[in-house]
Amino acid sequence: MGIQEQYRSEAASLLSSGEVKLVIGFGAGSTADRRRPLFARTGEEANRFVLDASCIANLSTYLLTEGLLSDGKKVGIFLKPDGIRSINILIAEAQLKPDQVVILGYAIENGQLTALEGRSVADFNGVNEKIRSLALPPAVQQDIERLEAMSPVERFQFWQDQFSKCIKCYACRQACPMCYCRRCIVDVNQPQWVNTSSHTLGNFEWNIVRAFHLAGRCAACGACDRACPVNIPLRLINARMGREVREAFDYFAGESTDQKPVLASFSKDDPETFIL
Amino acid sequence: MSEPFEPKIVAFVCTYCTYAGADLAGTSRLKYATNVRIVRLPCTGRISPLFILKALQKGADAVLVSGCHPGDCHFTAGNYHARRRWTVFRALLSFTGIPEERIRFSWISAAEGAKFAELINSITEDTRKLGPFTQYQELQTIIETQSTY
Repeated sequence: MGIQEQYRSEAASLLSSGEVKLVIGFGAGSTADRRRPLFARTGEEANRFVLDASCIANLSTYLLTEGLLSDGKKVGIFLKPDGIRSINILIAEAQLKPDQVVILGYAIENGQLTALEGRSVADFNGVNEKIRSLALPPAVQQDIERLEAMSPVERFQFWQDQFSKCIKCYACRQACPMCYCRRCIVDVNQPQWVNTSSHTLGNFEWNIVRAFHLAGRCAACGACDRACPVNIPLRLINARMGREVREAFDYFAGESTDQKPVLASFSKDDPETFIL
Repeated sequence: MSEPFEPKIVAFVCTYCTYAGADLAGTSRLKYATNVRIVRLPCTGRISPLFILKALQKGADAVLVSGCHPGDCHFTAGNYHARRRWTVFRALLSFTGIPEERIRFSWISAAEGAKFAELINSITEDTRKLGPFTQYQELQTIIETQSTY
């Protein structure tokens, strides 16, 4: 029995036994290599789940849909290790209750799918230790090094060229499981902190603010990067922020469900070499 | 004939330490550069990174953020939180190409009027050498034709 059939029947039994009210997974998409989120509420619907190497989206963003978890019932969800990481961050930020989530975990390595052991949030601590030891993808690492070797003027020009493409569609925000604010700072208009028109200044501010709000909270699932219709390399800026909190505070977002959010906590001996 | 360049510096300071320090500089009759515009806030923990972006957007050539020394915060821990935030925000600004020399951070207590005066003088001189931050200020005027994609 393949992993897809195994998870289909598992999802079906979770639903028909009434243990969960909903399973969030993947269904067939508009083309052969695309997958679309599928929300199954009955055992029959669970037979339409697809699970293969194209299932790369981080579905945890759907868990925070308004009202979904307010009835206290459980929801099952298909998650890769980066999705499990985002679940941990959301629990640490008190946005989710761990006992409301049933994880159908899988990993994709070199195009091969493996099922992950464990169904409850607590079962996945080992997975996250493994993630901590992972290095950045070499391509991202190289691009960051290339940018850091530039002078500030060149770097500014690089990001100006990138951000000038932005059309302020906020797809990066919608796709991100961490962007759950009911009212985002860019939607605040009294005072208007961020220019809303999609000229370069407003784009610059928006992207800096987005990256800052994700610093130490990003699970590196790449949802924003894939969602961007104009291909701004958001992965670079997110990875750079991730490296910063790791180097400065030895903090790794999503490592456990009880870690304190890095920018909402402090240590008396945090580094301060730059303060005069 | 154009006027010589005078840097605009915005200083975000906490009211309990650095603002009192600036006050001491004044009552001690210390002279320092007039290029600084002081914005007084309750605590460094109140200083949002958006303030810094807004200052740059409105034409600041350099920004100073200053508050109580660690351990001296009126609200016990505001400056510790601010310190973490600055560490991350500074890295972000640097990565997006905003030079680190333009955003400065310091701890100045209510007793350090002389330190405040010296710091303002040195930031003014450094910024004068760097020149106006035209690269950021020009963003205001760039309206893209959006034909790139």
